[in-house]
Amino acid sequence: MAELSLQHIDKIYDNNVQAVFDFNLDVKDGELIVLVGPSGCGKSTTLRMVAGLEDISNGHLLLDGKDITQTPAKDRDMAMVFQNYALYGHMTIYENMAFSLTLRKENPNVIHKKVLAAAEILGLTSQLNKKPAQLSGGQRQRVAMGRSIVRNPKVFLFDEPLSNLDAKLRGATRREILLLHKRLQATMLYVTHDQTEALTLADRIVCMSMGHVQQVGTPLELYDSPNNVFVASFIGLPPMNFYDVKVSGGQLLGNGFKATLTEEEKKTLAAYEGKDITLGVRPENFTEGSDIKVTVTNNENLGMNTLVYGSIGNTGVKVTAKLKGWKNYKVGETASFSIARKHFFDKETTNAIRGDK
Amino acid sequence: MSKMTPEEKTIQRDRMRYIKNSACANLCYLALLFDVFYFVLIYRQDVGTYYYNIQIGASVVYNLIFMLAVFLASEAVKNYKKNYSVVLIIAGVMQIVRMFVIPMRAHNAMTLVNAVETKVMTDKTFMLAIIYLAVSSAALLFSAVLNIIRCSALEAHVKSLESHQA
Repeated sequence: MAELSLQHIDKIYDNNVQAVFDFNLDVKDGELIVLVGPSGCGKSTTLRMVAGLEDISNGHLLLDGKDITQTPAKDRDMAMVFQNYALYGHMTIYENMAFSLTLRKENPNVIHKKVLAAAEILGLTSQLNKKPAQLSGGQRQRVAMGRSIVRNPKVFLFDEPLSNLDAKLRGATRREILLLHKRLQATMLYVTHDQTEALTLADRIVCMSMGHVQQVGTPLELYDSPNNVFVASFIGLPPMNFYDVKVSGGQLLGNGFKATLTEEEKKTLAAYEGKDITLGVRPENFTEGSDIKVTVTNNENLGMNTLVYGSIGNTGVKVTAKLKGWKNYKVGETASFSIARKHFFDKETTNAIRGDK
Repeated sequence: MSKMTPEEKTIQRDRMRYIKNSACANLCYLALLFDVFYFVLIYRQDVGTYYYNIQIGASVVYNLIFMLAVFLASEAVKNYKKNYSVVLIIAGVMQIVRMFVIPMRAHNAMTLVNAVETKVMTDKTFMLAIIYLAVSSAALLFSAVLNIIRCSALEAHVKSLESHQA
C-alpha cells in the first residue's frame, strides 16, 4: 500500500476564497485517517485535492515519496467512494464493479477474479446480477466500495460514505468499513462530519475548522486532551459544557458555583491565579454530588444513562449532565452535581491549559 | 491465438453467470440492420404499378413481425434463453426463403417503362438484395448456434457448481 504526505497545502479558489490553510499531515502505510469537522471546514476539499479532483493552490502532495501534486486524478492510483454512491443505474452490480478495470482493458478473466473476490469480501456475491436500484442504501455503498477494491489502489478515499444511510444501517456499514480496513490493511482517508464515525473508525483523527487543522491525534487524545475549545466542543456527545470561571486560591469561581481544585490542577493553573479561564466539563464527567446546584429543565432517560438538562441556580448558565443509570428528576427540581474531571482553556486563545506545558 | 488453460476455460464459463450474452444479441441487431437495408432497397424501387399488390402488403406485414420477433429474441438470448435460438433459426431460414420471393421474381420480371420493356429489378439491385438477406440470415443462424453452445456450456457449469456445493 502507500504512505501519503500532505505538505503545507492551501486551497484558494478563483474568487480568492481560501478553503484550506497550510494543511500538513503524514499518513502512514495502512493507516485510517478520519477528517472531521463541521460543514464548510474544508475536509472534503482536502480529500478532493488528494484525489486530484481539485487543484492544489500551494504546497505538495507526496505518495510514497513521489510528488503527485500535478499528477492527473486518473494516474494517482487512488479510489474514491462518494456519498451518493455514483453507481451506473443501467449496469448490473458485477458490471459496475468491473467497469473501471474494463476501461483499462484488463484481461476479462482477471477482472472476473477480482470482482468475485471483492464481492466475497463485501458479501455481495448473491447480488451481482442485480441492478443498483434493487439494492438497499447500505448494499449500494458496499458496491461503491467494491468498485474501489477491485482496482487495488494505493489509497482509498471516502467522502462521507454513510451520510445517505439511516442510523441503523450507518452503524452496520461503519463496522463493515472497519472490518474492510483490517482485512485490506489499506491506507484510507475518510471524511465525515459525524464524530461517532470518526471516533470509532480512525487510527488518527484530523479535526478541522474554517480550513485550519485544529488537532491531529488518536480518538482518545482528541476526546481526553482536546487542543482547544473547538475540538473540545466538537468531539463528544452531548458536547462539553463551558463555563467562565476565575482561578482563586485553589478554587474555581463560576457564575453561581464553586469548584475545588485538586493539587495537580492547582499546579496546572498556577500561572492563571487570579485570572479568568474557561472551564470545560464533559456531560459524562458530572456525578451526583454536592458542588453545583442545578435547576432541572429536562430529564431524558436513554436506558443505561440519563441526560439531565438544567441551569445553575437562577443564573441561566446551562448544564448538560449525563448520569449513569435511570434517573427521574422532575422539571424544576434541584439536583446536586460534582465534577469528576475538568478541562481548562485559556480564555483569550481558547487553547487548552495543560500541566506539562 | 494461444490455447486456453482449463482454469481459464472455467473462469470464462463462470463469467457467463454475470455477463450478458451480448455477442448473440449484437448478431441479431446486425441481422435487423441488414433487413432494414433490404426493405429500404426494395421499397424505393420506382417501377410503376408492378409492386402495388397484395404481395407487397404481405411483405410489409412480414417485415414488422420479423423485426419484432428478432428483437424480442435478441433480448432473450442476451439472458441465455436457449429456446429462443429456435426463433432465430426460423427467422434465419425465412430470410433465405425471402430471396426467392420478391428479389428473384422481380429480377426475372419485365415491365413497360415509356413503352420500352425494362427489367423490374436491375442485376445490381438484385445482387444487393440477395447480399443483404444472406448477411441477415447468416447473422441470425450464427447467433442461434452460438447461443445454443453458450447456453449449454453455462448449464453444465452451473450444474457442476451446484454439485460442488452439494
